[in-house]
Amino acid sequence: MSKLVEIKDLYSYYGGICALNGVSLYINEGEITSIVGSNGAGKSTLMRTIAGDKQIDSGEILMNGEPLPKLVHDVVNSGISLVPEGRHIFPALSVRENLILGTCALKGQEYKRAMSETLEEVISLFPILGKRIKQSGGTLSGGEQQMLAIGRALMAHPKLLCLDEPSLGLAPIIIDEVFDKIIQLNKEKKLTVLLVEQNAYLALDVSDRAYVLNTGLITLEGTGKELAENPSVQEEYLGVTR
Amino acid sequence: MTIIQQMITSVSVGGLYAVLAVGYALIYSVFDFTNFAFGGIMMVSAFSGYFVSNAGFGTIASMIAAIVTGILVSIAVELLAYRPMRKKNAKRLFLMISAMGVNIFLTNLYLSLFGANLRTLPSGFKANTISIMNVQIGTVDIAAFLTSMVALGILTFFLYKTRSGITVRASATDISTAGLMGINVNKVSLIVFIISGTTAAIAGMFFGMKYTVYPGMGAMSTKAFIASVIGGLGSLQGAVLGGFLLGIMETLVAGYISATYRDLFSFGIMIVVLMFMPNGLVGRGDQSKL
Repeated sequence: MSKLVEIKDLYSYYGGICALNGVSLYINEGEITSIVGSNGAGKSTLMRTIAGDKQIDSGEILMNGEPLPKLVHDVVNSGISLVPEGRHIFPALSVRENLILGTCALKGQEYKRAMSETLEEVISLFPILGKRIKQSGGTLSGGEQQMLAIGRALMAHPKLLCLDEPSLGLAPIIIDEVFDKIIQLNKEKKLTVLLVEQNAYLALDVSDRAYVLNTGLITLEGTGKELAENPSVQEEYLGVTR
Repeated sequence: MTIIQQMITSVSVGGLYAVLAVGYALIYSVFDFTNFAFGGIMMVSAFSGYFVSNAGFGTIASMIAAIVTGILVSIAVELLAYRPMRKKNAKRLFLMISAMGVNIFLTNLYLSLFGANLRTLPSGFKANTISIMNVQIGTVDIAAFLTSMVALGILTFFLYKTRSGITVRASATDISTAGLMGINVNKVSLIVFIISGTTAAIAGMFFGMKYTVYPGMGAMSTKAFIASVIGGLGSLQGAVLGGFLLGIMETLVAGYISATYRDLFSFGIMIVVLMFMPNGLVGRGDQSKL
């Protein structure tokens, strides 16, 4: 199993406040890796830093052994797509336009392939987007918007798909549907996924490997199964009382 | 028959206001500040057009010179004045103050270089007016109206039918998410400043032909700013609507009441619209711009 992304001793600050306090982790190619932790643990900061949306204050992020570029759009170019927390689709733009925006990092042949093959793949993965293709993004339901946000990220042909709280604000039945699709992408397309979730049970269940992030530090790591069976994880994040 | 003449004049002025207002609206929608240097850019472009025309070249050549100037100055202002401030996360208000500074700088630079004289920019058309069914219509008015319509048409096509245009619209809604899409925000800013420089040049040329070219002519763009506020700051449809409304009403007031009251009326309209519709006629607050 080769490492797609490796993070070494990453520090990140907001003003003077430390959000990431020396995080080191790695993401294997073709696996689903998840990061669980409570509110304010630094999960979203970590995600934003990997996606290039927040500057690295110290430490490094390597992709296939190379450091990531500094600017966010260059990070997208190099193959990391983030589905941000709260989805952030463009409400005034149509579903089709939202999907086209996912291709912004692509040029020439890659762009042509995205607009034909990838667009079809995304629509066959999320048929509802096909039905709503001309509607404006703002008219979609929460679950549909999440699907659009994932579809939009897929349009960029990512090597690493980062999902920040994909279950947030969705009905349980929709959460199951979204997660089924994520597993399908991972199994069928061999897509590498980094998942950040407050819903630790769900995240650990689908993950090959997982980390527990606590106040800016990785406190535990292991396979999804190992962490799910770990007593302290069960107590703190899975709501198991003993 | 004067009513028809008035209407033609008013839609031609309205068209120019609309084109200029769109220039304001685009920048406002993406960067949340009003580019008050716009009038200066318009004046500088008109001067280039004047010089080229004065050197004996035709209208097309002077229009091209004006547009090239508008684009270059617009980009220069963005790169030298605004982008460094944005990089340091300057408040929008300070960007606007910087923009006013650029405007005053350009006006005074041209004043000291070329003096305050009013210069006539020949339209290059064979006749000043053409007669259609006994109605005398200014050729410049017709050209101004047609050019504005074509410019707005091209812009609409660009924004709604091309990938670059969609990136501009996306940046207008949510510039940080736009970055996550792989959109290079600096590239978007260049596109936006190129478009606004072009609109300033087009308006500058036609205002120059209709009236005169002089260092203070940029003040006319204030009207376009009012138009974009009336329509709804940051909304393109609003800018076009506001531009035409203002142009039409102004011409009618000047023609049927008194030219003295024209500006009083324009600013009055703005205040009344804002009292009842603070987001302008079609503005819907912050959510969906463009």
